[in-house]
Amino acid sequence: MLSWRTLRPILAFLILVVLHYTLRPVLGWRTSVDFLVIALLLASVRLRPGAAAVLGFAIGLVADSLSVGSFGSAALAMSLVGFAASWLRAVVFAENLVLHALFFFAGKWLFDIVFLIVERRVRGLDLVFQLFIWSPLTAMVTALAGIVVVILLRPMLDSQPA
Amino acid sequence: MARASRLDSRFDTGLFVACVFLAIVAHGLPAHLREPIAATMRRTIVAPLVALQHNAELSRAAWLAHESSTRMRDSLSLQAMRVTALEKENERFRRLLGLGRELRWGFIPAEGLHSGAVGDEWTLTLSAGSRQQVAPFSPVVAPEGLVGMVQTVDPRMSIAIMWTHPDFRASAMAADGSAFGIAQAHQGSGADRYLLELRGVPLRNQVKPGTLIVSSGLGGVYPKGIPIGTVLDTLRSEGYARKYLLRPAVLPPDVLSVMILQPDRAQQGVGSVWATQVAQADSIVRAAAAIASAARAARAGAPAAAAPQGPLPDDSARTASADSAAAAAAARARRARRDSLRSDSLRRARAADSGAPRRDTARDGPRRDTTRRDTTTPVTPPAAPATPATPPAVPPR
Repeated sequence: MLSWRTLRPILAFLILVVLHYTLRPVLGWRTSVDFLVIALLLASVRLRPGAAAVLGFAIGLVADSLSVGSFGSAALAMSLVGFAASWLRAVVFAENLVLHALFFFAGKWLFDIVFLIVERRVRGLDLVFQLFIWSPLTAMVTALAGIVVVILLRPMLDSQPA
Repeated sequence: MARASRLDSRFDTGLFVACVFLAIVAHGLPAHLREPIAATMRRTIVAPLVALQHNAELSRAAWLAHESSTRMRDSLSLQAMRVTALEKENERFRRLLGLGRELRWGFIPAEGLHSGAVGDEWTLTLSAGSRQQVAPFSPVVAPEGLVGMVQTVDPRMSIAIMWTHPDFRASAMAADGSAFGIAQAHQGSGADRYLLELRGVPLRNQVKPGTLIVSSGLGGVYPKGIPIGTVLDTLRSEGYARKYLLRPAVLPPDVLSVMILQPDRAQQGVGSVWATQVAQADSIVRAAAAIASAARAARAGAPAAAAPQGPLPDDSARTASADSAAAAAAARARRARRDSLRSDSLRRARAADSGAPRRDTARDGPRRDTTRRDTTTPVTPPAAPATPATPPAVPPR
């Protein structure tokens, strides 16, 4: 039987996944918030690296199933991000919002880099613009949204690792 | 302990490598293999998320459609406002064209530019100059009446003073010729700023409110017959002269397109150009009123007339019936008017035959009502009067 202490992060994770498929399309920003990456990062710091990689792979596969021609790209990127986030958990244990923001920023940017390179849909100068202008901007927006999520869901997010 | 930790670490790395390997394999799968997998996922575990996304996108589309419709409504309102302005401008141009048609020759059309600067509110910059044969002291007119006078002429433009200028003076008279005076700006403040005065009217000549004041042609600048304003009220008398307050025929802010009369045209006079326009406007108003009253009478009598013919099939038939009834009533009104005119002329002929002097023709002065604004339209009755109408004599100032 799962305790409320264990259930809370799972609930926060599910809320973020739902937000990704409800709030993100409604906002429709050019630099949109990636709630899936935030959910993965917040979950990864509470999981072992292997479990975080599997969770990232699963989330990425779900995201890939809704896009045409990039099947596997998000799965690969999310696996990398989840595994790396779990290894870097010590940084995030500090209750510092700036460190959290940096963590979200790096995670999202890493995801975009891996995804865009593996997907190979965007090439040349467009890829450079995407990687060094739009992706950092998107990562920045995601980091800000991540801080908001951390503040709002603080009661649900246990700071102790699983 | 350290061994267990190493095992865990290897297990984690193994899982990670497996995930990466599977992801690369998934990415490398041919389309005919990976698409069924993706479709199966979309129909099963991802289906609720797809439904959520679909609803969210529908909400966004509805929101955008609402914004778009609001923008469209706003732009339509804006266009409707512009249409009103365009209609007014069109009407102004039509009147200007009508004035040009009446004048026929000796005028220069120009655009009036208001500078709006302090001290320049009484002047008007005109878009025609000496290259268009504009001469100093030429009268500037609008379809409504007198605007002012050209003061300075440049090759491509000229500057005119409007009637609001403190130096503006025009010899004026009542349209019926009963009183003469000098028209000038009232120099009031606030709402009285755009009013005129008629000064120097002899005490024995009283002008009623509503009387049209036109240029008399005595000053040599403005030809006779250009509307200047309408009498609003009597101001304080100065010695043996009266002073009247006039509502101007032309409001300075409305002056956008004007006509500059050339010296030859000003000397020769403008005849009955404005009198015709005023009479036409009066006759149009009278005709509209007659048609409206005839239509009302027809609507009142239409049900009784239509009753014996049975019920009408639809609204268009009813409208047609009402229109024909209105036309019949208007024809009856015209016949009645002709009849009254005919009886009036017969009465005048009988009076001429009897040799008895008519009360109004025995007077020395001109009949005021023979030159009133609303009777200047020449109405020719079927039977010609026995005595020709005498032109109104202009009393000396």
